[in-house]
Amino acid sequence: MVVDDHPIWRDGVARDLAERGFDVVATAGDAASAVRIARAVRPDVVLMDLNLGESTGVEATTMITGSLTGTRVLVLSASGEHDDVLEAVKAGASGYLVKSASAEELVEAVNRTAAGDAVFTAGLAGLVLGEYRRMAATPDEDKPQLTDRETEVLRLVAKGLTARQIANRLVISHRTVENHVQSTLRKLQLHNRVELARYAIEHGLDVEPEGT
Amino acid sequence: MHTEPGRTGPSVTGDPVAHLWRGTVALRIVTFLFALGNAAVHHSTYERPWLAWTVIGVMAAWTVFTSVAYSRENGRRPWVVSADLGLACALMSLSPLIMTDFQFLSNVPLITTIWASGPPVAAGALGGSVAGALSGLVVGLFTYLSRGVLSVDLVRDVVLLSGAGLVVGMASTTARKSAVRLEQALRTEAATAERERLARSIHDGVLQVLARVRKRGLELGGEAAELAELAGEQEIALRSLVAAAPTESTVDGDADLRPGLQLLATPRVQVSTPATQVMLPASTVAELTAVVREALSNVDKHAPGAKAWVLLEDLGAEVVLSVRDDGPGIPEGRLASAEAEGRMGVAKSIRGRVEALRGTLELQTGPGEGTEWEVRVYR
Repeated sequence: MVVDDHPIWRDGVARDLAERGFDVVATAGDAASAVRIARAVRPDVVLMDLNLGESTGVEATTMITGSLTGTRVLVLSASGEHDDVLEAVKAGASGYLVKSASAEELVEAVNRTAAGDAVFTAGLAGLVLGEYRRMAATPDEDKPQLTDRETEVLRLVAKGLTARQIANRLVISHRTVENHVQSTLRKLQLHNRVELARYAIEHGLDVEPEGT
Repeated sequence: MHTEPGRTGPSVTGDPVAHLWRGTVALRIVTFLFALGNAAVHHSTYERPWLAWTVIGVMAAWTVFTSVAYSRENGRRPWVVSADLGLACALMSLSPLIMTDFQFLSNVPLITTIWASGPPVAAGALGGSVAGALSGLVVGLFTYLSRGVLSVDLVRDVVLLSGAGLVVGMASTTARKSAVRLEQALRTEAATAERERLARSIHDGVLQVLARVRKRGLELGGEAAELAELAGEQEIALRSLVAAAPTESTVDGDADLRPGLQLLATPRVQVSTPATQVMLPASTVAELTAVVREALSNVDKHAPGAKAWVLLEDLGAEVVLSVRDDGPGIPEGRLASAEAEGRMGVAKSIRGRVEALRGTLELQTGPGEGTEWEVRVYR
């Protein structure tokens, strides 16, 4: 499923994916219909643009990953939207690819997302590293922390090394590298949910139970 | 819909030292009442009571005039303050005609009394500390000329008068400066908001089309691929441009290191930064940006076609910048030999800049391994 408010881009990406054997089950141009359609068709992967006019892709990501366990969100967005990308990843997106990526990179990223792997660009690794360090500087007690190994792996990703190069350099398996990357994301997302729940309780908001 | 940058936000209007002028007017009125009381007490013993009351009348009229003028922004002008100073000194100089010699000897106040402190205060508010202090000295000089003798009391008055002018002048200068800063801050804020609005609309339209042209063109191949490459370069340049916030520094001279680095992104250079600002002194920001630019141009020179990654990390007490490329790497000894031959090159320039920042520089390279510079600077 492809979500983008710009029809030229949306249809182009959908065609690219269809040509390469993917089954594009739906497209959407705004956050509200993206959530509605995703709940109806339950796609494996949602390609999400973050800049959806009035509404944001971050909200749509939160709602989709919160209510559909089998659906993974891959953010496909412009390179400049640092804060939004970080927020979307915290909200449950399993990866981020810039729109300037090549068709091959896109295909590989969609495949990996469908397989449950995290898709990390160097840019996203830099953002995630920055976020952990920002949290480390706050007095909050149950904030998530990176292990030394995870920090090491993230830094190498941010410096443009591929998973295979990192595995070689650190003398660990390719799978272990993937697991480290995955775990940095999971901790961040878990913390984000705890924070949201705490916020809701503190402010007396009723959280609508969502089917996870 | 279009609004000019710098005019969108709230702006500071009015004279930043208006409160000083209100004080000046209050001082004027209070000191006039004092002079009036003084004349009432002494008028029976004055040599020329009619002249005393004439002077008091002129003072009353002038007090009304300056109160009105100083209360309006367009009345706070150099000529009004100069006339104020001139008139106060002239009226004061009439004191020898009004008062008896005995009154002078027994230190009875001059006819203008402390009313003459008005002009130095007004001059300070208008022109700053120097104007205030000088006006105080002028009034002091006329006090001396009117009394004709130098005494401890007179010197004390002069010191108080120029001191008052000086202090008010300093307050006025400070108030004006902070008003300018506030205005600047508001302008920056408005400009940022405007830039964000532009960035959004550029993102929605131009960038999407450019991205699509690049993608489709590459697939079509041939001449279309060339056009696609051009579109791709412009797409990334435009993205970095709209993503980069204005690099204006804060009041204490700190600036965000990220925008300058983000502008260095190209199709072959990826720049990764935290999502939050990385504030450093503006000069450090400029130097570090130059270091990265240098390292990247070195990649272009020695490993044309190689990709490069720039990573910025903020560790709190220190900031780490890494520049890595996937080129062939620098053969062992080549940096050292280049340095020994006295060729400027990377080594000297980058090392020099980093040393000047009291930072550390690490270089990791080897044939086939690419090159990685790691710069650490401490806060």
